[in-house]
Amino acid sequence: MAGPRIACIGVIGKADNPLHIALFPPYSDAMIEFSFLLNSCLDIFEIRRKQTSIDQDLGLLHAIDERLAAYGWLTTTGVKLLIIVDLFGPEATSARLVGPAVSGLRDSDLKPAFRALQSAYIQLLQNPFYSPDDHVPTPGVTAGSASSCQSISNSKFIADVKRIGETWVPGAGV
Amino acid sequence: MSATKASRIGEEIWKTRIDKVNAELVTLTYGTIVAQLCQDYDSNYQDVNKQLDKMGYNIGMRLIEDFLAKSGVGRCANFRETADMIAKVGFKIFLNVAPTVTNWSSDNNQFSLIFDENPLADFVELPDDGRAQDELWFSNILCGVLRGSLEMVQMQIEAHFVSDVLRGDDTTEMRVSLVRYIEDEMPPEEE
Repeated sequence: MAGPRIACIGVIGKADNPLHIALFPPYSDAMIEFSFLLNSCLDIFEIRRKQTSIDQDLGLLHAIDERLAAYGWLTTTGVKLLIIVDLFGPEATSARLVGPAVSGLRDSDLKPAFRALQSAYIQLLQNPFYSPDDHVPTPGVTAGSASSCQSISNSKFIADVKRIGETWVPGAGV
Repeated sequence: MSATKASRIGEEIWKTRIDKVNAELVTLTYGTIVAQLCQDYDSNYQDVNKQLDKMGYNIGMRLIEDFLAKSGVGRCANFRETADMIAKVGFKIFLNVAPTVTNWSSDNNQFSLIFDENPLADFVELPDDGRAQDELWFSNILCGVLRGSLEMVQMQIEAHFVSDVLRGDDTTEMRVSLVRYIEDEMPPEEE
């Protein structure tokens, strides 16, 4: 069944440090490309944040091309959740492209996915053995030396994100 | 006193005489304590278990007074009754859980408590260092609580966990064995 699917989920920390990036077929090997995309989305977060009274749900951030679109969610603590949607779905890659993508993807379609992501992140934080401090870059160290802060290695969280990315379809819960 | 009667008492006290606190406050506080102990003892989990048991012992010695005052129950006739009292009244009024009492030894001196839910361990995942899963008993404080409180009512017991869902086991089970009754005063004969 073709249709919009999640291509990439990114969890980005307060200091724009990547906490976790998950890729989904057919993009599983495109880590560098998607890192760039996520990075460019962070600038949009910055711009939107300056506007007054923004909601947590930032909706569509950026339509990258006719196929990929980035949606964002910003928590009050500064953690950014990003979902890049593939509007054609994985089946479209091998076959010839079938007409224009489904245009009717609304912002609210992503809401269940963001909510599920947020609760997965909350659950991670409530685990006493997870220490958020390990995932904050040391002040004074530039963003270039990313090795100073680790990404999330908790297997349950990673599995949760994977499940959300794989099961999400427009208009259904996750 | 039967187990059902004990459940009723526990339920009644829980509803009428207990001040409630937010469960997440308890869970997060306890989780922080254990995580901090693990850090302080450099992940020597045997020492952490021991320390938790000791902390529990000190809690139990005080908690028993509160328990007796709130429940108003008298002396138990035998160890089986004690077990029901612990599971259905004690755990009920302090943690709002009622573990199952089972696996009695033939001499009625050992039993197991099976915890279907454990409010202390909500949200918890043991550290992924290859040892915590085999060595740390996260809820070990409960063993100490039982040991401390029963000692104050003339029972020397030994309690330890034998399985924990946090380690990937199917159940959380605590084994409790009666070592001896302290003082010469013996309880009435068992039926």
